[in-house]
Amino acid sequence: MFDKAKAKVEARREAHRVPPALDAEQAASEAHERDKGLTKHHFEPHEHPCVRIEHLMKTFDGETQVLTDVNLTVWPGEVVCVLGPSGSGKSTMLRCINLLETPTAGHILIEDKEITGHLVTKEVNKLRQNLGMVFQSFNLFPNLTAKGNVMIGQTKVLKKSKAEAEAEALKQLDAVGLLDRADFKPAQLSGGQQQRVAIARAVAMHPDILLFDEPTSALDPELVRGVLDVMRDLAENGGMTMIVVTHEMGFAREVADRVVFMEGGVVVEQGTPEMVFDNPQNPRTAQFLGSIG
Amino acid sequence: MHAGSSNRLKRLVAAFAALLVALVLVPSQAQALTTEKATARPNEDGGSGVIGGIPTRLTWEGVVEDGESITSVTLTLPNGASFDNSTTKVTVLDNLTRIPNDATATPSGNTIAVKLSDPAKAGYKLRLEIEDMTFPSEGGDVVVNGSYESAGKTQELAPSKPIATIANTWLQQMVSFLDAQPWVQAWNSNQFLGMFLKPQLILTSLFSLFPGWLVCLGIVVVAYPFAILLGLVFALMKLSKFRVVRAIAVVYINVLRGTPLFLQIYIMFFGLPMMNINIDNNVLGVIVMAINSSAYLAEIFRAGIESIPTGQYEAAASLGMGRLMTMVNIILPQTVRRVIPTVTSDFIMAFKDTSLLSSVGVMELMMFSKNLTSVTGNMTPYVTAAIFYLIVTLPLIKVVTIIEKRIARSERGGGPRPKAKVADAKQDDEQTPAEPEGAEATLASALSAPFRAGTSVFGGVADVR
Repeated sequence: MFDKAKAKVEARREAHRVPPALDAEQAASEAHERDKGLTKHHFEPHEHPCVRIEHLMKTFDGETQVLTDVNLTVWPGEVVCVLGPSGSGKSTMLRCINLLETPTAGHILIEDKEITGHLVTKEVNKLRQNLGMVFQSFNLFPNLTAKGNVMIGQTKVLKKSKAEAEAEALKQLDAVGLLDRADFKPAQLSGGQQQRVAIARAVAMHPDILLFDEPTSALDPELVRGVLDVMRDLAENGGMTMIVVTHEMGFAREVADRVVFMEGGVVVEQGTPEMVFDNPQNPRTAQFLGSIG
Repeated sequence: MHAGSSNRLKRLVAAFAALLVALVLVPSQAQALTTEKATARPNEDGGSGVIGGIPTRLTWEGVVEDGESITSVTLTLPNGASFDNSTTKVTVLDNLTRIPNDATATPSGNTIAVKLSDPAKAGYKLRLEIEDMTFPSEGGDVVVNGSYESAGKTQELAPSKPIATIANTWLQQMVSFLDAQPWVQAWNSNQFLGMFLKPQLILTSLFSLFPGWLVCLGIVVVAYPFAILLGLVFALMKLSKFRVVRAIAVVYINVLRGTPLFLQIYIMFFGLPMMNINIDNNVLGVIVMAINSSAYLAEIFRAGIESIPTGQYEAAASLGMGRLMTMVNIILPQTVRRVIPTVTSDFIMAFKDTSLLSSVGVMELMMFSKNLTSVTGNMTPYVTAAIFYLIVTLPLIKVVTIIEKRIARSERGGGPRPKAKVADAKQDDEQTPAEPEGAEATLASALSAPFRAGTSVFGGVADVR
């Protein structure tokens, strides 16, 4: 019985083992070469990407293949917007990055460290501290106030003192324009306010990378702007690395360093917003952008 | 000091001497009339006691010894007793044959004198049935004394065995008062009212059932914290990722929920003594109730935990929280709010289920009322027991409703808002949702409302019982 389980673990590790070819230095320069013209990001000399996704594959229940072969590199401070029709695997890819979904095959490297396949719970928790996530459905803790939501990660995970965490929470709530709502429960806030609290909660952990999973899709149209303003502020003034899965074309065009178009579980096109929006190379991209307008 | 102890010694010696004299003298006094029996008919409403101050019947029997012929007997009771207004029936028996005798009884205060028309001969049995006499109202053991006249000589009767009497309390006086009221008599003459709602019995049962009610409450109140702890442990076990742990929890929960509490009580109460494990009945009652409730609570907690949307786990995970940290800080606090109404309902169930313990002799409410009903042949004690159960359950049912409404209201954002901290807060283009009319929420909307305004649309926890 144990032999079988051991073999299973071994097989899984094998599937995710970084091949020697994935030498960090070499991979970085290759990726650099590849992405050079596709992003507005200003490359530093010898810069290493902070997220490297190689041949990522994900199947659910062994049959539904959501991600076929995703390859993507994200550089420090870069804002990447991921577009694509629903079911194209955008969210799944994002959730794979902080291991909310376990990749079936392929590699994800965060700051040149392989995260797929062989991490124990402790390492996963450590990794997630470094990856802030904002959800489509906000997922605020309804039993805590806005301030409590922003504080809890700091006090429980980062083991900060209460006063320290509170100061940080108020600072972050102020940054998203909700200082006056600090003592409100999520149910007493509008959707847009809730999402802004969720962003403050993620930012308060001071992660290196922020992941946004359709942050405005669940909002009424008139509430979207407030959230996008906060995100734009983070991108432009915070210098934060952001991967944003979104349907907001205006935001993508304005804020993104690079736009990635996904379809059928693969990245079909990527480039600067101007390249993708004004002169899409892939017919599927053109069709999608045309339909959205 | 020394003088004191010698004094005491003297007194002891004196007492001993007196005892010796008594021992020598008493048997030497030839008894010509031996008291065989002195009893009183119970006059307690719904009981077997003899109450002082209330009319009853005193039965006294004596046997005439050899060589005597009794012409009169006088019975004396302690002060406070009364033979006034009593009627006496005198029977003279020779074995089983009744000897005709015209006797006259003269009651006077606490004594009654009976004169026989023909002397009672040796071997005859003399029976006095004194109707409508009363014992002293202060109660206690009453001894019948007296004297008899035999061949012109008056001799003392040996004291009878004591008759236990109950003090005539204010409760008894209330009952007697009710007995005398015409409306009570009219009320009781109705077959239904007299059988189920007899005022006198309601009054007495309220007092005699009270200890049983306390036992019920005690058992369930002591058992419940243990049940909650056990239930939480098994709920978490059932949600464990280890199959063996899960299996243990599933077996425990399903066996306990799948068998009647009655059966569990029998197994525990009769099984443990057979293994020479003897536990106090009340303690064992607590144990059985705690174990039984824990299975139901485990299911309630499990359902509560599972009703928390996955997004909460994901949000906690994305902050870097581990499983245990998430459970303790995020999931359980939300679960507690959701399960309070269901747990309260289960508490009501458990409280009512203590009645089953009466079957194994735990002296709780049901047991008391059953005893009282079998003594009185009246259903009123059961109705009174119902009142006692309702005293606990009705307010709790109300509490459940109030909590459900409150949860519904707070989760929908209708609760009182804290004051905004910054007065000149920057103008929002977003409006906070309007306050719903949560206060008058119906039960249906209250049940469906938790988390309605939030991200997740999950209902409350179903009552799993």
